[in-house]
Amino acid sequence: MGLRPALRRSGAATVYLAVGLRTALPATLFSAVVPLVAVLAVLFIALPWLPDLIKPVRALARIERRRAREALGREIPEPYEPPRGTAVEQTVRLLGASSTWRDLLWLTLHGWTGLIMAVLAVGMWPSIPASLSLPLWWWAAPEGSQSAFIVLDGWTKALTLPFLQAALYAAILFWLVPRFARWQAMLAGFLLRPTRRSALTERVELLSTTRAEAIEAHGAELRRIERDLHDGTQAQLVAVALRLGLADRRFDADPDAARALFLQARDGVEDALTQLRTVIRGIYPPILSDRGLDGAVRALAAGLPIPVHLDLPGEGRVPAAVEAAAYFVVAEALTNIARHSGASRAEVSLQRAATCLRVRVRDDGEGGADPDRGSGLAGIRRRVAALDGTTRIDSPAGGGTTLEVELPCAS
Amino acid sequence: MRIVIAEDNVLLREGLVLLLTTGGHEVAAVAGSGPDVLPALLEHRPDVAVLDVRLPPGFRDEGLRAAIAARKEIPGLPVLVLSQYVEETYAAELLAGGAEGIGYLLKDRVGRVEEFLDALHRVAGGGTALDPEVVSQLMTTRHDPLQALTPREREVLALMAQGLDNATIATTLVITERSVSKHIGAVFAKLGLPHTDSGHRRVLAVLAYLNS
Repeated sequence: MGLRPALRRSGAATVYLAVGLRTALPATLFSAVVPLVAVLAVLFIALPWLPDLIKPVRALARIERRRAREALGREIPEPYEPPRGTAVEQTVRLLGASSTWRDLLWLTLHGWTGLIMAVLAVGMWPSIPASLSLPLWWWAAPEGSQSAFIVLDGWTKALTLPFLQAALYAAILFWLVPRFARWQAMLAGFLLRPTRRSALTERVELLSTTRAEAIEAHGAELRRIERDLHDGTQAQLVAVALRLGLADRRFDADPDAARALFLQARDGVEDALTQLRTVIRGIYPPILSDRGLDGAVRALAAGLPIPVHLDLPGEGRVPAAVEAAAYFVVAEALTNIARHSGASRAEVSLQRAATCLRVRVRDDGEGGADPDRGSGLAGIRRRVAALDGTTRIDSPAGGGTTLEVELPCAS
Repeated sequence: MRIVIAEDNVLLREGLVLLLTTGGHEVAAVAGSGPDVLPALLEHRPDVAVLDVRLPPGFRDEGLRAAIAARKEIPGLPVLVLSQYVEETYAAELLAGGAEGIGYLLKDRVGRVEEFLDALHRVAGGGTALDPEVVSQLMTTRHDPLQALTPREREVLALMAQGLDNATIATTLVITERSVSKHIGAVFAKLGLPHTDSGHRRVLAVLAYLNS
């Protein structure tokens, strides 16, 4: 490594460590208080205050997490659960949470190491020129003055030792200081992130909630389909059978009346067929099984009065329920665009990631779409939620609308 | 007329055969699955083919593909496609090779025997028969260029797009044939289309315009 990048690296590391004082200084103070709090906690005095006492610790950890994220180049998620229950329950939860103990461990370690490393890093910079210039002015220093524990009392020492010192300082500055900065970031990255166990617990909790919602939404969908078939199509066909039966009885006595009933029956059958088509489309649009998701989306785009740019992956199929939902989302979104947006062009993109299908529909229209008002957007939300997916709508007034949907599916 | 039928549902197939033979037509062959369709058509060279879109083994769009392939092999072969649902895309694919002798109807329409046979004759004669649902799909999605039309002109255009001639349009709308041709003239003028009097060319022109 050349001198210039090495200097820059050490400089950046020094800045990092110096800024680290912002958390390290309060951390040392806090870690001095921690034993006191612990003793009080044992005596059950501080227990109700624990949720409040932990707040500044978490605030420090939050600052450190942000710093470390930039240094490490990766996100460090927060391991905290949202507070729930009474003060006592919160305290118990806090005492049981591994994040609390890991925060305190970090506080102690970071406090004193951060202090030492920052002082060392900052101190090295003036130390090197000071050492190098020592031969020029050592004689002026008062008798018995020391430089790095060595008394300079003759020209021989004055012309050798300062250079050795400077070399040592330079080694610390170039070799050790960048490592210090890295260690500090890694300490935060290791102790302040959720443990595997807590991350899993959180995920399981999230999944249980969304699964319950998904099952509920799916149930509502099933009931809707059942109602459509039972009250609509089935009733219609019964009426048809009834008319045919009546026509049969009247056929000999009054052929004209019988014929009228036949015609009514035929109308009834046609109505029933139309209803059936609607129901079938709601469950699984036939074009999907004919042409797959890509072909079906292409057909949707072709029906729009404005140009639609398509970005489709082209191969591989996803589960039928996911396909149907994705199709529904695109169909609804494009209908909205055609009806309300005033857009001059639209864009549909489908992306298959490892664990989900991502659907994005964008337009350059007026924006200002309100997901709580439009029934179309509400329908999209419901349908996506039934599969435990997520919906995101970004629609600033005048800035076009972007709809993003993620549907989970293993590939 | 000699007719080849491709339909996998036995009841519906027998029903179609019955309906056509009692109408005085000859059913030259019936195919029950996708791969049988093209050989049957090539062997019998019927006056018109009646094809279901979904056929075994894949139950996807075998019938449609067979129809398009058959018209490549036998140019101008009249084909009437029947389907449980209508899809604008399929209509566009069918018509891409020319609108002469093309029909695309919902299976429901078979129940109205007279209208169905009428559409079949029109297709066999080189005309066009598009399901009103296809037409309404086209009309609703392509509403922008049609905004200049009056409601009556729109009605006339819809019937025209289905492949009906002026006389039929006149009886359907209970107006005179002269006012029908006046409306058509207005429609063509407003849409900027050159006037022709051949039925399928009118459909083709209208569709081409709507799809542009």
